[in-house]
Amino acid sequence: MTKKKDGLTLVRRLALAPYSAWALLFIVVPLFFVAYYAFTDNSFHFTFSNITRFFTATSEVSGNGGVTKEVHTYLVIFFRSLKLAVISTIICLAAGYPMAYLLSRASDRTQKILITLIMIPMWMNFLIRTYAWMTILQDTGILNSLLRSIGLGPVHVIGTETAVVIGMVYDYFPYMILPIYSVMAKMDLKLLEAARDLGCNSFQVLRRVIFPLSLPGVISGITMVLIPSISTFYISQKLGNGKFYLIGDAIEGQYVANNLHFAAAIAFILMVILLVCMAFMQRFANSKASVQ
Amino acid sequence: MKMKPIAKIYTALIMLFLFAPIAILLVFSFNEAKSLSVFSGGSLYWYKELLHDTETLDAVRNTLILAISASLISTVMGTAAAVGIFRLRNKVLRTSLDTVTNIPMINPDIITGISLMLMFVFVGRLFGAATSLNFGTMLIAHITFCLPYVILQVLPKLQQMDRALPEAAMDLGCTPLKAFIKVEIPEIMPGVITGLIMAFTLSLDDFVISYFTSGNGFETLPIRIYNMTKKTVTPKMYALSTIIFFVILALLIMTNLMDNPTYAETRRNERRAGRNKADADGFVASATSGTVGGRDVPPVGSARAKFRRRIALAIGGVLAVGMIIILVVAAPQTPVLNVYNWGEYISDGSEGSFDTIKGFEAWYKEKYGSEVEVNYTTFASNEDMYAKISSGAVSYDVIIPSDYMIARMAQEGMLLELDYDNIPNYSHIGESFRGLYYDPDNRYSVPYTYSFVGVIWDANQVDEEDTGDWDLLWNEKYAGNILQFNNSRDAFATAQFKLGLDVNSQDPETWRRALAELKKQSPLVKSYVMDEVYNMMESGEAAAVPYYAGDYFTMLDAQAESVDLRFYLPERSNYFIDAMCIPTCCQHKDIAEAFINYMLEEEPAIANAEYICYGCPNDLVYENEDYAEEMGEEAMEILYPDLDTFAERYNSFAFRNLDSDMLDLVNTLWEELKIN
Repeated sequence: MTKKKDGLTLVRRLALAPYSAWALLFIVVPLFFVAYYAFTDNSFHFTFSNITRFFTATSEVSGNGGVTKEVHTYLVIFFRSLKLAVISTIICLAAGYPMAYLLSRASDRTQKILITLIMIPMWMNFLIRTYAWMTILQDTGILNSLLRSIGLGPVHVIGTETAVVIGMVYDYFPYMILPIYSVMAKMDLKLLEAARDLGCNSFQVLRRVIFPLSLPGVISGITMVLIPSISTFYISQKLGNGKFYLIGDAIEGQYVANNLHFAAAIAFILMVILLVCMAFMQRFANSKASVQ
Repeated sequence: MKMKPIAKIYTALIMLFLFAPIAILLVFSFNEAKSLSVFSGGSLYWYKELLHDTETLDAVRNTLILAISASLISTVMGTAAAVGIFRLRNKVLRTSLDTVTNIPMINPDIITGISLMLMFVFVGRLFGAATSLNFGTMLIAHITFCLPYVILQVLPKLQQMDRALPEAAMDLGCTPLKAFIKVEIPEIMPGVITGLIMAFTLSLDDFVISYFTSGNGFETLPIRIYNMTKKTVTPKMYALSTIIFFVILALLIMTNLMDNPTYAETRRNERRAGRNKADADGFVASATSGTVGGRDVPPVGSARAKFRRRIALAIGGVLAVGMIIILVVAAPQTPVLNVYNWGEYISDGSEGSFDTIKGFEAWYKEKYGSEVEVNYTTFASNEDMYAKISSGAVSYDVIIPSDYMIARMAQEGMLLELDYDNIPNYSHIGESFRGLYYDPDNRYSVPYTYSFVGVIWDANQVDEEDTGDWDLLWNEKYAGNILQFNNSRDAFATAQFKLGLDVNSQDPETWRRALAELKKQSPLVKSYVMDEVYNMMESGEAAAVPYYAGDYFTMLDAQAESVDLRFYLPERSNYFIDAMCIPTCCQHKDIAEAFINYMLEEEPAIANAEYICYGCPNDLVYENEDYAEEMGEEAMEILYPDLDTFAERYNSFAFRNLDSDMLDLVNTLWEELKIN
C-alpha cells in the first residue's frame, strides 16, 4: 500500500522534472541575460550607463505657445505608454464587467454562443485586424462615410490617442471578459439569494457580494489587458499615425538600431516596474480574499 | 434567465464592435483593385492570387507546423507539470515554481522575446554555431510562453478532482501508473483540451516573440505580414484571413453539433451535482483560477468523460498525424538556398506574373542536373536585416540590402567576394551602375533595383504651383494633410535636402538643424507612414507624401475616383540601389552565385522589374521593348530619369554608412521628434 503510494509520488516527481528544467533554462535564465546586457556595454564591460541613460536622457519639446522645454525622453515615453494602457484597461473593465455578468447569468445556450462569438476575433491575425481598423477610422474611412450618410459631420479619429486606445481595447477586450466570466460563472447563487434575504438591494448585492467574489477574475483581467497594451508597438504605429512613440516602439527602435544593450536596459526597467506593480496587486487581491 | 432588452442592446453593441473589422476584411477580400481602402467592385481575384502565392502558403504551413508542435509539446509537458505541482508538499519549491510559471504571463511579450533572443545569440556565439536562431529556437520560445497557460488550465481540474479516486483505484489493484492513466487523466481532460486549444491559438497569433526569435528561413505568417511594410499589404492577406475565418467557424459549428446529444444530459448531471457551469467553456484561465477552483464539487458524468476523451484523442491524433506528415514533407533532402530579401520584392507568380523562384529551381536543375530548393524570407528594413545577420544567429546565402548597408557590411567583413566567372550575366549591368561608392571595385555586389525618393501629390487637393520642391511638405496651406516617412533616415533626408545640408554629415549640428526643421513640420504632418501610405494616398486621405518613385504607380492603379495622383522628383533627392550580395554566413556559395546569375537573365529580370516597379539596372530590361510598352511612357520617364548623369547624382545624394555613434545620435534625435 505505502509502496504503491511511494510509486505514485515518484511518478509525479518525474512528471515535474522536464518542466522544472525547462522553466529554469528558458524562463529564469533568459531574464538574467536581460540584466546582463542591461548592465554591460558593447564590449561586455560592466556599466550603469544604459540604466542612467533611461532616466536622464532629455529632449526639447515645444510646449504651448511655442515655448520649448526640456523633458526626460524615456520617462515621457514610459508615462505616455502607461497612460494609454491604463485608459484602455479601464474601458475594457467598464465595458467587459457587465458583459461578463450578463454572460454568466444567461441561458447555457446563449452563453455558449456568445463565448464563441467573443473568441472568434482572437483567431484572426492581430496585425490584419489592426489593419482593418485603419480602413474604418481613416478620415475618408468607413466610419466617416456612415456618419456622412446620416448627416453627421466627419470625426477625426485616426492618429489620435482615441484611435490607439480603440486598437488596444479591441485587441485585448476578450482577455478582460473571459477571466471575469469564468469566475462569475462559478459563483454560488445561494450567496446572492442569502444577501437578498438579509435585506440587500440589487446595488448592495453587487457591491458587497458579487464584486468582492469576482475580484480574482478582475485582477487577472486587468493583468491580461494592461501588460500587453503597455508594451505594444504595432498598434501605435498603425493607428497612431506614427505619432505615438511608446515604450514598445523604443525597445524595438533600439533593437533595430542594433543597440542591444540599451534595448535590454529599457526592457529590464520595464520588467522591474511591472513585476513590482503585479506583486502589489496580487497582495491586494490576497488580502481582500482573506477578508472574505 | 432571459435577457432584458437593454442587456440585448448592450450585447449587440459589443458584438458590433468585435465584428466590425472582421466584416471589413471580409468585404475587402473581394475587392477588385489592389487597395484596402477604396472598394471598386467585387471579384475573386485575390483568392486566385492566394492559391498561386507559394511563399505565403509556405508561411501558412510554417505557422501551422510551429503552432501544432508547440501546442502539443507544451500540453504534454504542462499537464505532467501540473500533476507534479499539484501534489508538491514542499512549500518553498511550490511557491518558487508558481512564481516562475507566472513570469511569462506577467512579462510583456516583447521582454520574453528579447530575453530569449539575447540568450540564444549569446549561447550561439559561445559555441561558435553558424546559426543559433532557427526553427528550433522559435519552437522553444513558443513552448515557453504556452506552458503556463496549459498548467493554469489543468491545475484547477486537479483541485476539483476527488483525491480519494486514484487511491481507491490502487486499492482495487491498479498500479500507480495505471491509476494515473485510467482515473486521473480522464478527470483532467477538459482542462487539458482547453489548454491545448489555448496554446495553439496563442502560438498561431504570436508576432512579437517570433519577431525576436525567428531566423534562418523559417518565416511565419505574422512575420511575413509585418515585413510587407515597405511595399503594401494586399487584399490577398484579407482573402487569407477570410478563409481562416470560415474554417474556424466551420470547426466551431461542427464541434457544437457533435457536442449537442450529450450536451443536455451533461448539463442535467452538472446541475444535480451543483457544479459550476462554465469550466468547459472557460477559455482563458484566470491567472488566479487556482484559488478559485477549490470550492467545486468534482464528479464528472462518465458518459461525458468518455466522450471528451474520445474528442481529445481525435484532436490529438489529427494534430500528431499532421505533424508527422509535415515533418516528413519538410525534411530537406536537397540543398537549400536561403534568400533574404525585402518584403514584396520579387516576382513570385502572383497577379499572373512569372514565378522567379520556381523559375530558378527549374533552371538550375536543367543546367546543373541537380535539385535545389530556395527558401525565401523577407525583412522589413536594412537595419532589421543587419540586426539578424550581425547577431551571428542566422545563415543566409543571398541577401539584397541597400547601398549604404552594403558599404557597412563590406567594411565589417560580413560579405564574401563574388566570383564573376560564375556570374557571366553581370555584363548586362549598365555602366552607370558599376564602381559606385559602396563597392568601388565591384567585389561584393550585383545591382538588383534602383530608385529614388520623390513627392507624390493629389492634384485635387494641391495647387500645381506649390509643387516642384521639398517646400510642399512644409506648406501650411496643407496643414494636416501632409505625410512623412516613418523611418528616421528617409525623414531626416527630406529636411536635409530642403535645407541644402549633407545627408551623410558627420557633424551633429547638421542633424540638429534637420531635426529643428522636422519639428517645424510636425504640426502639419497628418501621419508618419510606411506601408500605410498606400491606403492614405489612394483614398484621398492625404494630399502629399515623399515616397519611393516606383510605388507611385501602385497607388495610381488603385486610386479612388475623387483622387488624381501625380509625381515629381525634386532637384535634390535621395537615390538608392539595392544589390545582391553573399554574406559570410553563406553555406552554398556556388549556388548563391548561380542564383544571382539567373536573376540577371532576361525573363526573370523583366518579371522582377515589372513586379517591383522600380528602375532596373539591367540593360536587357531597359532596352526591352515589350517591357517599355508594358510599363507605359509615363512610368519609363519617371523610373529612368537621364541615365547619363545618374552616377553623378547618385554619388552626391545617396546615403552613406554612418558610424555607430552617429546612428545612435540619429536614433536619439528621431525619438526626440516622436515625443513632441
